[in-house]
Amino acid sequence: MGRTDYLIKRAVFAVATVFVAITINFFLFRVLPGDAVRNLARVPHATSALRHSLEVQFGLDKPKWEQYLIYLKELAHGNMGVSFTDQQPVWSNLREDLANTIPMVSLGTVFAIVIGIITGVLSAWRRGTRLDQVSTNLAIAFYSFPTQWLALVLLIYLAAWFPAHGRADPFLINPTWWEHQKDVLVHMFLPSLTLALTLYGEYTLIVRSAMLETLGEDYILTARAKGLPQRRIVTRHAMRNAMLPTTTLIALSLGYIVAGAILIETVFSWPGIGNAVYQAVTERDYPMLQGAFLVLTISVVFFNFLADLLYFKLDPRINE
Amino acid sequence: MNARRHVFTTLAMPIALALVFSACTGSSGRKGEGASGGPIKEGGILRIGTSSGMSSPNPFVGFNQDDYSTWMYIYPSLLQYDTTTPTYDYIGGFAQDWSQSSDGLTVTFHTTPGAKWSDGQPLTADDAAWTFNMIKQYASGPAGAWAGSVTFLKSIQATDADTLVATYDRPSGTALFDLGLTPILPPQVWQKYATGDGKALKTFQNVPENGQPLVGGGPFVMTEYRKNDIALFQRNPNWYGTKPHIEGFGLQFFRDEDAMITALKTGQLDAINEIPPTSVETLKSAGMHVYEGQALALRDFIFNLDPNKTQHRELLNPKVREAMEYAIDRDSIAQTAWLEYASPGSTIIPAGNATGGVQWHDPNVQPLPFDIDKANQILDALGYQRGSDGTRMADGQPMAYDVVFPQDEEGAGDRAFQIIQQDFKQIGVELTQKRLDDNAAWNAMYCGGKCGYNFDLAMWDWFPAADPDFILSVLTCNEYGNWNDTGYCNPAYDRLYEEQKSAVDPQERQKIVFQMQEMAYNDRPYIILTYDKRLDAWSPDWDGFVESVQGIYNNFSTQSLTSVHQA
Repeated sequence: MGRTDYLIKRAVFAVATVFVAITINFFLFRVLPGDAVRNLARVPHATSALRHSLEVQFGLDKPKWEQYLIYLKELAHGNMGVSFTDQQPVWSNLREDLANTIPMVSLGTVFAIVIGIITGVLSAWRRGTRLDQVSTNLAIAFYSFPTQWLALVLLIYLAAWFPAHGRADPFLINPTWWEHQKDVLVHMFLPSLTLALTLYGEYTLIVRSAMLETLGEDYILTARAKGLPQRRIVTRHAMRNAMLPTTTLIALSLGYIVAGAILIETVFSWPGIGNAVYQAVTERDYPMLQGAFLVLTISVVFFNFLADLLYFKLDPRINE
Repeated sequence: MNARRHVFTTLAMPIALALVFSACTGSSGRKGEGASGGPIKEGGILRIGTSSGMSSPNPFVGFNQDDYSTWMYIYPSLLQYDTTTPTYDYIGGFAQDWSQSSDGLTVTFHTTPGAKWSDGQPLTADDAAWTFNMIKQYASGPAGAWAGSVTFLKSIQATDADTLVATYDRPSGTALFDLGLTPILPPQVWQKYATGDGKALKTFQNVPENGQPLVGGGPFVMTEYRKNDIALFQRNPNWYGTKPHIEGFGLQFFRDEDAMITALKTGQLDAINEIPPTSVETLKSAGMHVYEGQALALRDFIFNLDPNKTQHRELLNPKVREAMEYAIDRDSIAQTAWLEYASPGSTIIPAGNATGGVQWHDPNVQPLPFDIDKANQILDALGYQRGSDGTRMADGQPMAYDVVFPQDEEGAGDRAFQIIQQDFKQIGVELTQKRLDDNAAWNAMYCGGKCGYNFDLAMWDWFPAADPDFILSVLTCNEYGNWNDTGYCNPAYDRLYEEQKSAVDPQERQKIVFQMQEMAYNDRPYIILTYDKRLDAWSPDWDGFVESVQGIYNNFSTQSLTSVHQA
């Protein structure tokens, strides 16, 4: 199979995945017990006319298949609908939430990737030493800590120095551009640190495992026999080959950035997409849920597709 | 129940400019006396943390308690409650005085002459008339959230710039509450949305844009709003009432109560509107001021009394419900589950619920004492014998019930359930907790149409309105499938409900309301477990909050944030 065939096949698969996800997302939330109108129509002395008018307004009076077709048609025109809860366009809500989430989660994820790769490589390189034991045990510990627990511990101990709430200080007086960025970074510190600590352990363990496998290969033995310096063997020969499983993991992590981090966003009251999804679930805000999951699906599929493309570069055997 | 909490239960220049303004005018501010007897310190920005948060600043969309409280502070209302009095007497808001005709069919308000909106436009009785007529026009659609404020309203008009006259189809005992506490909206902003089907009334965001504050007529104007994050307010220079001491305030929405408590302790917040009982000692030991008072909230144990129910029909027997009440240890629930920050409950109107000078809670209704032996005697007399596992059998079925338990009740509610579960074991009744999110919980209780009410027992809460009309209405037949969560339907109760609604004399109305409480207590669609205590906290750097059964940030009056000042 040629490279072009492979790419076409992967692209078709990606589009099909998105379509299937759209369909599942539509029906999944409607299977949940409860309904959106219940929340909104339960106002004092609400009449059946009010309930009916809300059902008509949201299109919930139509059969599910008809609602589905309308949803597909509107989506094809780039319309993700209007949030049941705040009556604003879903995309406008999501854009705001994503703008808050992406920097915080990206910072934590990138930090986790970098620290995870470094500690994973070091652990494999110094296998069996005290450094390896400490690093691996720490990674396992942070990987297994419940996220919200770690977040609360960091908050309780560090809130005297770092903000416990939100993405910026609303009371900052006429901040300059730089002051504002600094303020946002300070607010981002605790949530990003929590995310980095919960994620990095996984990278450490996977990179260490991949490195150990690579370091046991014959060509590494050959390189050693040729008298190449240890640093060169690790960076040039072992690391490159160990990057394949790590690339998949990075692609998945990047894809999930737009999903936010519900628990972390909850503890630090970060006004992001994770928070918005949680609220949308409790309020049965179907358009918001469909929109958020659509964005997540496209992101995950896109980054996986990107990983597939990277494999051509990383693993020449795919071309053969 | 979230919806229960929601129903009744945050300028052209940013806050920054307010601070600058404060610095320029601080010395010439209104003089008063602080707690220490010295002059009140003017100015400052108050930072309030809240876990309720705003769902939308649009009065036709928002449904959280903080939404209602925000509208109280940014929009004028004809009346307010004086929350400094135990009976919550009416006091003037935009209306300086008011009267109701002896037949209860006409209510006249005399509004403040020369009042202005924050944009400088005149604020007159015409604006109030426009608001109520618009609500009336769209009551079955976009303005449904405020439909209750125009019940039985025949017409409302401004007879001159400062006089508003409302006429009713039938005498209204709730007219002052219905009209008095509804926010009056600026027609210059809203008129263009109140056209056609009125749909635009709900799609309008009503948030500050392009550095411009929301046009309002309350003591503060909203200068900034970020969904799920913050809302900022600055003093309204055109406010016709008592000027606030503070220059502005900010509401910060917290999703996690522990984070909010930490923020107050570390000086990132100045006050918290409602803290959990578990944080009281922590905050007190950190030197924070903690307010403890009566709340307008109750916790209830619910029976499905739908006469058409097919399962566990023994629960329709009043004697069974009476036996169950004997087996509920309210004192233990209040002390152990609520750490003493609750009091034993009795009727559906919480103790301390008063409005317009009248106490609505009937103190004569006393709950049954905790008496396991008495409960067993009643069940034995009914012939419900215990099976081999100790569970009683009723009509061939074990007395084992699922208790629908919504997310709202987590925490203290879990502990309350465990206490009830253990005590019910002693009377041969087995309870299983069925935990669900709020939306799914209601769905598990009421499945609509012919299916009706399909649960056995449930636990939930009520955060009623100040006026008892709403909490009394939830047990009427009319509220089947809407607010009625018990399937209880008693024509005699409904008749009394209609009577109290039309009772113009407050004392006469109180009598009927007492009768209704007694009737509901004896019929036991609910066993009222406890009444909540209100817990708020603030830094010792602040003083002058006016507390209420809804806390320091409430939709009863603007007293709290117009009185608060730096210590």
